[in-house]
Amino acid sequence: MARPDDTLSRPGFTPPYILERLREHGSPRQRRCAEATLTHDHSFRALRGPQAAERLPAASAPGRPARYIYTAEHRETLPGRLVREEGQPGIDDPAVEEAYRWLGATYRFFWEVFERHSIDAEGMPLIGTVHFGQDYDNAFWNGTQMVFGDGDGELFRRFTVAIDVVAHELAHGVTERESGLVYAGQSGALNESLSDVFGSLVKQFHRGERAAQADWLIGAELLTEAVQGRALRSMAEPGSAFDDPVLGRDPQPGHMDQFVVTQADNGGVHINSGIPNRAFYLAAQALDGYAWEVAGRVWYATLRDPRLSPDIDFAGFAALTVDNADRRHGRQSREEQAVRDAWRAVGVMP
Amino acid sequence: MSRVDDPHRPRLGPGSRLTIRREGGLAHFPGLAAPRCIEGDKCTPGQRRWLERLLGEVLEGGAVEASRTQAEGQPSGADRRVFRLAIDEPGEAAGGGADDTLPPRWTLIVDETRAPGSLVTLWRHGELGEEP
Ligand SMILES: [Zn+2]
Repeated sequence: MARPDDTLSRPGFTPPYILERLREHGSPRQRRCAEATLTHDHSFRALRGPQAAERLPAASAPGRPARYIYTAEHRETLPGRLVREEGQPGIDDPAVEEAYRWLGATYRFFWEVFERHSIDAEGMPLIGTVHFGQDYDNAFWNGTQMVFGDGDGELFRRFTVAIDVVAHELAHGVTERESGLVYAGQSGALNESLSDVFGSLVKQFHRGERAAQADWLIGAELLTEAVQGRALRSMAEPGSAFDDPVLGRDPQPGHMDQFVVTQADNGGVHINSGIPNRAFYLAAQALDGYAWEVAGRVWYATLRDPRLSPDIDFAGFAALTVDNADRRHGRQSREEQAVRDAWRAVGVMP
Repeated sequence: MSRVDDPHRPRLGPGSRLTIRREGGLAHFPGLAAPRCIEGDKCTPGQRRWLERLLGEVLEGGAVEASRTQAEGQPSGADRRVFRLAIDEPGEAAGGGADDTLPPRWTLIVDETRAPGSLVTLWRHGELGEEP
């Protein structure tokens, strides 16, 4: 997989990843941030503590979330220190408040649209840790809880700022529980796409937007003004979200003709997800109305379909969405046709 | 801690190349994905021993050997960032040139939150230690 840029420019090394880029292109603040991220302790960082969910009340009443927000206090130990739990008054920390609020909005979406009671459909507590690490540029789902970094402040803002990013992480928990989609290759790209689909739907539901009004961007609030880009991803126009000297150019394809074969990123799970993302967008646009009402329900029914195998590919998933549209709305219905046309438009169906 | 006979112990000779990539995360940014390569013949024997010890530490700290399937090596969850470490022998290919179609001889995936600080520093700065 090595490419010409793997070769050396000084003894022993390729040009280092971001530090040199920031030295060449970066502002003084970027340079300070790059240095600050180097102050990792020089030993193994703490391994995972007891699974947070085991130490908490198991479930809430149907229709009500059970949110627990922790702070990692800029370390990398999970879950950290509990700072706000369900029903307690707010505190003076925007990251805590955003995590609490957006997890609540995501819970409300899954409950009101799909009658799903939390991640496991049994009221599982929603556990979020904020202030993870130093200037940490990421958010993730660790199999038990959601984790949010503060961002470096120059390229990325804090990762709780975007409702669709918080919803994206929670949706990974739902997908894991429902389907166990293998996080690699095409099934991994479908896993990623489902998180973007539900992430975007949570945002649209929260804002009361119809499909035609939505921006179909993921993480639009996350990138600072210093970045030449508008979001992490665009579901409507994959590949157009950013083109920046430091971040590079949005690598997402929107059609099977541009499917990216790579070892990186678990076989391109955040790259090729552009293809099913665009299929969902096209189906929702064709059906108009609120995207969660028809297209969202078809995708959710597909996620819960027992025929969805953990290693399913795009074509298999597409066939299941068409079949679920057929079951819900009838063969040759406008809904089934819109879903089929969407997958044809991105080259997944013939 | 001597584990000379362990067949899984990473070995770095003068003909080896160690590649370190940081992968994954909520989005893929090509500009942040450039790999770092360390050529064995540009290192002193002491630096290669230091690297072997670091790789052994990474392995013992919970990293997963990813030689069998891609999915097997992944930590649970989603959007996690990992370091992918690979050793190959570019000179082994026919004609002596680097044959990049060959799979690496040894690949390891380690969650970034479990990576030793010295690996993070190596990847960011290219700072090598040296063993006697
Ligand atoms: Zn994701």
